[in-house]
Amino acid sequence: MSDGKLDRKSFLTTTAAVTSAGLVTGFPAILRSRASAADTLRVGLNYEYTGVYAAYAQSETRGALMAMDEWNARGGVMGGTKIEAVQEDNNNNPGNAVEKARKLILVEHCPVQMGSINSSVSLAISGACNALNVFFVDSGGHADAVTGEKCEYSTFRTCHSTWMETHATGYSLAKKFGKKWYMIIPDYAFGHALQAGYHAVGKQIGVDFVGEDLTPLGTTDFSPYLTKVLAAKPDLLLVLVQGDDFVNCLKQTTQYGIVGKVPIGGPQVELEAVWALPKEARVGYWGVEWYYKGASVLGGGNKLADAFVKKYRDKYGTPPTARSAFGYITMDRLLWTVNQAKTTNAAKMAKTLEGSHFNSIWEGGGYYRDVDHQLMWPMWVGQIRAQGTADDKYDIFDIVDRQEAEAIEQSVDEKKAVCHMNWPT
Amino acid sequence: MAHIAPEIFNGLILGAFYAVVAIGLSLIMNLTGTINMAHGSFMTLAGYLAFALVSAGTNYWFALAVAPILTLIVGVLMERTLIRPLYHRDPVYSLLLTFGLSLIAEETYRLIWGDNGVPFSPPVALQNAVSLGFTYFPAYRLFIAGALLVIIIALVFFLQRTRYGLRLRAAVQDHEMIAALGTNTQLLYMINFGLGILIAGVAGVLAAGMLGLNPQSGNALLMPAFVTVIVGGMGSIFGAVAGGMLIGLTISIVTLYIPAASEIAMYILMAVILLVRPRGLFGEEGIFG
Repeated sequence: MSDGKLDRKSFLTTTAAVTSAGLVTGFPAILRSRASAADTLRVGLNYEYTGVYAAYAQSETRGALMAMDEWNARGGVMGGTKIEAVQEDNNNNPGNAVEKARKLILVEHCPVQMGSINSSVSLAISGACNALNVFFVDSGGHADAVTGEKCEYSTFRTCHSTWMETHATGYSLAKKFGKKWYMIIPDYAFGHALQAGYHAVGKQIGVDFVGEDLTPLGTTDFSPYLTKVLAAKPDLLLVLVQGDDFVNCLKQTTQYGIVGKVPIGGPQVELEAVWALPKEARVGYWGVEWYYKGASVLGGGNKLADAFVKKYRDKYGTPPTARSAFGYITMDRLLWTVNQAKTTNAAKMAKTLEGSHFNSIWEGGGYYRDVDHQLMWPMWVGQIRAQGTADDKYDIFDIVDRQEAEAIEQSVDEKKAVCHMNWPT
Repeated sequence: MAHIAPEIFNGLILGAFYAVVAIGLSLIMNLTGTINMAHGSFMTLAGYLAFALVSAGTNYWFALAVAPILTLIVGVLMERTLIRPLYHRDPVYSLLLTFGLSLIAEETYRLIWGDNGVPFSPPVALQNAVSLGFTYFPAYRLFIAGALLVIIIALVFFLQRTRYGLRLRAAVQDHEMIAALGTNTQLLYMINFGLGILIAGVAGVLAAGMLGLNPQSGNALLMPAFVTVIVGGMGSIFGAVAGGMLIGLTISIVTLYIPAASEIAMYILMAVILLVRPRGLFGEEGIFG
């Protein structure tokens, strides 16, 4: 460059250099990609690899990749087709998630897709995939709408719905602690659905909601809400926020002295978040969607569960979490479906997976329900311990109860009234 | 109305925290025109270093003393190698560079300490709440308020009563003249940058005890700090303090009545202040020259 301006010679030199570098390093990769697309099943993983849910996305992806590796070790699907995962970061943003969903389908040639953590993102991906008739499994977005009023024929869901979470925990929390509740709620689809679920429980048993605060996702300082909690003097503080918000909230709840005064609980707790809490903040009664120990979760002699827990722990150094389980189950069932249906046609896959019972990494097995494509499997309730056990520092949860899916999810008739799938003709 | 006294008190404490982060940012911006988008990453680094020190067998107080100094060393290395060439150039250059650094830093923290957060506690003596009569308030936040007051007083003393402070203030006014008078401006810039990072380091360790500690935790505090600088006015420490208090109070009071608007409230306040007084409450005109 001369005098700070880009001249013709410099432009041509720079362009030539960049193009050469691309030819040497980039093009072979592109060519490899095109070659492998023809004889490989590419599964799109559309997750929040950055932002407040990054740790959960990593856990789900680890579980998914383990399941993929197992299928590849067994020879792949459809008589020898290997599977490859293609990951995209949706930045915890529904708009970005749609863009990435379309990119995975149209550019990366992924005929099937899975994701995500954020319910709003899952809804967005579900819509985007359905518009292109692509099979999608929501592994970790809990909002009822995914298998409710916004259900799609091409979408299935692995994790529990918010209705299941609130109904697994609400009755027992009221019985244990009382009926004056204060709720701290994340202000997006997931939080609103949980709020509605607890309202439904509360209406049945006469709960007095003395306070409900909607907090923006990514809130770091919960002090304004916690001073209100102290003033309201509830029987129970329900913490519905998740991810980094959960860590911030619990830490500050402890520092405000609420822990000794007001019992704390909620619809779900994630081990990733609890491990990030200091010991004094590890408190409360929570729903948990899967746990890596205990006969009521894994069953006695469940070889699938034992193998999953051992392999995961050997590979990553920490036990699998519920999120790891979501990713594993989702990928496993997705690949099973492709293998059974012998196609990636979304409608045929959906018909294959609907209603098919299977055994997996929990006691009792489950199935994706025909009416709404929700995986019907149990939930558990328990209490956090401040410390792990003598031989396992990660074991910080005591399971006290198990709730069967049919008892905590809306009935088939209730779902038929809200979920209307538009099957292709 | 019964809630308002605790919220006001809470807002003032929160505001003081934003003010200290903003002061560090403002110091760096005032002298060299560097927009340090990596400021939050330095706070996170200090938090992680404190975690590492405590995990190695030391205690919170040792970590609070040492982690900011280690962060300062990293900051000075960054300044000498990467940021110095961009001084007095268009601020966009420093913004882009430091933004890139913040992304690299976040990924580095993930590689070292994982995606998941790590547990970091305040000392046991400060883990409880104390009764203030009208509310219970965390002892740790009261300690933070005291620490921030000490930082502000120490900084004002340094800038107003020491020779280097005098030179820093003179350089903000006219860096060419002070160079012509024989002052080693490169050393001055380094000290100034280091001071901003040291303050960020202390704020980072304090924040780690209050909030979660994860690869993006410092960045969550960066935007309120920038808003505080703009509201309070560039070039004014008093402005940063006043701006921080105003932001903290606004967030607290809005949260009390309209929680869903708590995030946007500070931006609305910023917009109103800029419309009425574009230089900020106590800012100086033409601070970027």
